[in-house]
Amino acid sequence: MKTVINEENRRNFVSLVESMLHDKLSKCYQCGKCSAGCPVNFEMDYTPNQIIKMTELGMEDAVLNSKTIWLCVSCNTCSTRCPKGFEVTGIMDVLREIAEKKDIISKVEKEVQVFHEVFLDNVKSNGRIFELELVGKYKLKTRRLFRDMFLAPKMFEKGKLRISGEKISGLNQIAKIFKDFE
Amino acid sequence: MKLAYYPGCSLKGTSFEYEVSLLKILEALNIEIKEIPDWNCCGASAAHSINHDLSIALPARNLAIAEKEGYESVLAPCAACSNRLKTAHYELETDDILKKKITGSIEMPYSAGMEINNMLEFLIKIAGKDKIKSMVKRPLTGLKVAAYYGCLLVRPPKIMQFDDPENPVSMDELVGLTGAESVNYSYKTECCGAINSLSKPDVVMALTGNVLYDIKKHGADIVVVACPLCHSNLDVRQREIERKYEEKIGLPVLFITELLGLSFGIDPKDLAIEGHMVTADRVLEKIKEL
Ligand code: SF4
Ligand code: SF4
Repeated sequence: MKTVINEENRRNFVSLVESMLHDKLSKCYQCGKCSAGCPVNFEMDYTPNQIIKMTELGMEDAVLNSKTIWLCVSCNTCSTRCPKGFEVTGIMDVLREIAEKKDIISKVEKEVQVFHEVFLDNVKSNGRIFELELVGKYKLKTRRLFRDMFLAPKMFEKGKLRISGEKISGLNQIAKIFKDFE
Repeated sequence: MKLAYYPGCSLKGTSFEYEVSLLKILEALNIEIKEIPDWNCCGASAAHSINHDLSIALPARNLAIAEKEGYESVLAPCAACSNRLKTAHYELETDDILKKKITGSIEMPYSAGMEINNMLEFLIKIAGKDKIKSMVKRPLTGLKVAAYYGCLLVRPPKIMQFDDPENPVSMDELVGLTGAESVNYSYKTECCGAINSLSKPDVVMALTGNVLYDIKKHGADIVVVACPLCHSNLDVRQREIERKYEEKIGLPVLFITELLGLSFGIDPKDLAIEGHMVTADRVLEKIKEL
């Protein structure tokens, strides 16, 4: 990988990440304990400790386009075990949020990103999650129309899928929250 | 103390069995809880994954409503919801600038005085082990149960402040009260893949498969959980995992509230056990014969 990093860009990126994270990247001494216990490390392109180092080095494009940030399931194993108390789970949130704000659409893990977006749209329009609508919209957006569909009949039979959702009465308050922070 | 109840979306949908069974056992234990009026979705993993402020504001609205209604304690049975409510509470308590921003947006004050309990905490702290034990009319002697905690009940420990993050025991203790035997195994707190169930099913099946096969290997008859996301992955995806890895599992997955209900002598129908994808018939037969 060719990586030419401009020092000023590096500093800006590091300070953006650190201010959102409320933690210092230099705390990490690269022991690798976070990555050893990460349940999805086998699918990642960079391990969590590599992501931390790359962020510190200002490799913005590489981390924001990595598979890792979208594969992370926020299980908090890494932060719980880190001997330095570094917010490893937190950095994944921060990097995803930066990617999202920069409109970087993940090429490799687009489905995870789309799922989060569709989920929040569902909250915005109903105040609560209506699962059928959520799954329907997600499938339309990802064109994965048939995956998991075989589960549906039995789930209906068991009473797990409601055919109508409910909206909360304070939807205007929810709209305001989204307007303030989106 | 007035006790508020935050059901969250899953308990009103795919995991309705959890709500049915918890209301049933709290009725038996004579504990009254009241749903927070007009509660909204806590934003679950999606909000914190891509929008931090939203992930605090959404749960904060629920906490502020509960406070306004005079509650001091909230039960959030869904592990993900309790995790998000506790996180919002923690950040509002420790970050004044954030608190100002959030309470300004929800247009309600929040004094950050709320106690938030997950299901296990609630049962142990509020109902109490002695009371639970005294309700056991049909001890589940001989039944082998694997208590699966997953991630969100115990991690991050700084915020959850509950049990041991690497080797939790609270659910095993509750299992013990029913007279059943809790099985020791390795994957108690390994992640099931939770949030990526729909977007990365292959990864989730690998993670959930690890948990289920390990439990199976250790000879459990059933698994108990206290999280609707864990339940969905372990129960709803179990048949698919068996097909993918070509090895039968056949482990019924019950909510801890259902197991307690059975030991109280409550009819399985009233606990909605037939709502699960993996049938528990064989185990229910076994219990009947006890
Ligand atoms: S466990 Fe902590 S110190 Fe070790 S590599 Fe990971 S973040 Fe760095
Ligand atoms: S929180 Fe993310 S990075 Fe950390 S161990 Fe879990 S999946 Fe891996």
